[in-house]
Amino acid sequence: MEFKIKTMRNKIILLVGILFTGIYVKAQKFDVTGFARTYEGVTYNNGDFAIIQQTLNLNFEKRGERVAFKVNPMVYLYNTDSLNLNIREVYMDMYFKNFDLRVGKQQIVWGKADGVFITDIVSPLNLSEFLLPDFDEIRTGVIATKLDYYIGNSTIEAIWIPQFTPTIRPDANSIWYIQPEFPVPATFDWSQSEINPSLENSELFLKWSAMTSKVDFELMGGYTWDDNPAMHVQKQFGLDTITMPPSPMLTGLAITPEHHRLTVAGGSFSTEVKGVIFRGEAAYYNGKYFQTEDPTAEDALVQKDYLNYVAGIDFNIANVKLSAQFIQKYILDYNDMMLDDEFHSTATFLARYDMMRETLHLELFSYIGLSDKDALIRPKVTYDFDDSFSMLLGGNIFVGEREGQFGQYQDNSMIYTKIKYNF
Amino acid sequence: MFTLKKIRINNLKLINMKTLKLVVVVALILATSIKANAQLTGRQIVEKAYNLPTGDDQTSILTMTLINKSGQTRVRKIQQYTKDFGNMEKSIMFFLSPADVKNTSFMNWSYDSDKADDQWIYLPALKRVKRISSDSKSDYFMGSDFTYDDLGDRKLDADVHKLLREETINGKDCYVVESISKDEDYMYSKTITWIRKDNFVGMKKEFYDEDGELLKILTIKKVEKIDGFWIRMHSEMNNVQKNHKTSIVLTNIKVNTGVSTSKFTERMMMRGI
Repeated sequence: MEFKIKTMRNKIILLVGILFTGIYVKAQKFDVTGFARTYEGVTYNNGDFAIIQQTLNLNFEKRGERVAFKVNPMVYLYNTDSLNLNIREVYMDMYFKNFDLRVGKQQIVWGKADGVFITDIVSPLNLSEFLLPDFDEIRTGVIATKLDYYIGNSTIEAIWIPQFTPTIRPDANSIWYIQPEFPVPATFDWSQSEINPSLENSELFLKWSAMTSKVDFELMGGYTWDDNPAMHVQKQFGLDTITMPPSPMLTGLAITPEHHRLTVAGGSFSTEVKGVIFRGEAAYYNGKYFQTEDPTAEDALVQKDYLNYVAGIDFNIANVKLSAQFIQKYILDYNDMMLDDEFHSTATFLARYDMMRETLHLELFSYIGLSDKDALIRPKVTYDFDDSFSMLLGGNIFVGEREGQFGQYQDNSMIYTKIKYNF
Repeated sequence: MFTLKKIRINNLKLINMKTLKLVVVVALILATSIKANAQLTGRQIVEKAYNLPTGDDQTSILTMTLINKSGQTRVRKIQQYTKDFGNMEKSIMFFLSPADVKNTSFMNWSYDSDKADDQWIYLPALKRVKRISSDSKSDYFMGSDFTYDDLGDRKLDADVHKLLREETINGKDCYVVESISKDEDYMYSKTITWIRKDNFVGMKKEFYDEDGELLKILTIKKVEKIDGFWIRMHSEMNNVQKNHKTSIVLTNIKVNTGVSTSKFTERMMMRGI
């Protein structure tokens, strides 16, 4: 539910709409919170602005004893003329004695891992700016019906998503778009990439979670769609007339991106031992399509199961909050013709220190590609000028092998500022 | 022969004897009482202070004002609920302001046994409840002058308590007790607490840093008895080394209203008040 507003007339309509909405919600005594933010980043490789973004985030909430309503529009202005309206969430809550029901567009977060998505697969990702947005902005909302049934300290959550939403990829003109390289010209046919909304095509998720004095845990299952399409590749051949006799030669590739069903089962836990938080999360993905160079494979794809897991710890040393995670993906029944590695390992590291009565925050967060030998290093300093106003200076530094998921963005390394007003 | 005067004298003697007996009994009771209190050890005094009844549950709005050395203020407002579950106490806080922390919630389960507290935080931006370490008790709560340890219930035998003297502050007779942690790595080298003799309510506390220098002074500015329970309505922590302070004022206090056990769950952390 994202609208790009191009014309001046539509922009004026949007602004007038927001104004009248404001008057209406005041009359209805909605609780209004949100923020205004300016965000500018410049690549230090060539001095180009990587991002010039102004954001207005509005939360309108009204809650009674038994029902609640929320709508969260976000308006993004890119550069000077590209205005995007994104209704991040709009839902109604109904509260009963032992269960709650939420209907509408909503963001749903599962799991215990930070910054990685193992069992957290209900809300797809918006990767149009890679992994750089704040974690609440990187997820997209899904139109869903969510039922939470409570038994003591445990919860059974069931989710039905009638319409599939895929991962949002960078536009072709974005600095985060990586042009795929092919040995011969390739054409894309996107006609199969849409999933028709129907009962048959809906997604189902189920989770049982509990919060106890010893351990918190979640067990989940999902009958879903792969958020990332499989690339069905048809090879096109012609005759090489230079050779005698003429022989068939590869002249082009016809690529058809298509989403496939995926069945997922997993779980996560979190517990404290002598002041250290231990976290773990794992999921088994059944029926994922991977690219292969096997000439006998249909559409250059092979279907395999894989495991994705993370182990993490959180602890404090001298008031510095530290966190580290090891993440690994393991493809079962692997063969050497697959383009992906059998094991793919990543780590994350976080250090955070608050000073000056929690008005100055120093933070270093890093993704470290252990398999790809690359990294994304994200230092930042935030100063709270007062309780509602903060200023941030940070860096996104991509280093390492250019083939790696982080190293490929070396030219996009940047410094950036964010100034934010909360209300 | 009995004369009126004799009768009067005899009656007077009788009254005097009765009065004398009464005085003796009262004196004995008082003496016993004074002797009993005089014999209290530092540990016993602190135990009585720690064991003051607080009711089965309590609800209040906590307003925390951070004041820096130039007098500028920052205000945090929290709705809090506490409930006694017998061998454990559960508390939950919902942050009402400032805007950037609104709808954040924090839950703590503390145990009578030596088990460390369990703590969780819900950040609305992350949309999930996260277990956090209760080991960071020396961290300052929301940038205030109160550490998590200052705000929580300290275990009686975590410290060695010694009665130093008796003093009067604000017209109230107090025991002055020194407490030194058994844990050498504890953030305070010692604390000194002024505890009222009549009701064992703490009135003042001094915190000394690891070098033995006075770091902070907690002053209880207003105590009230609500529904039969002593409640510290207004307290102020003054960091004398950095010259900034934090005041905590409780309002809308309700005791024993039967707060539901379901208030202290993940469901309520995410839903809010």
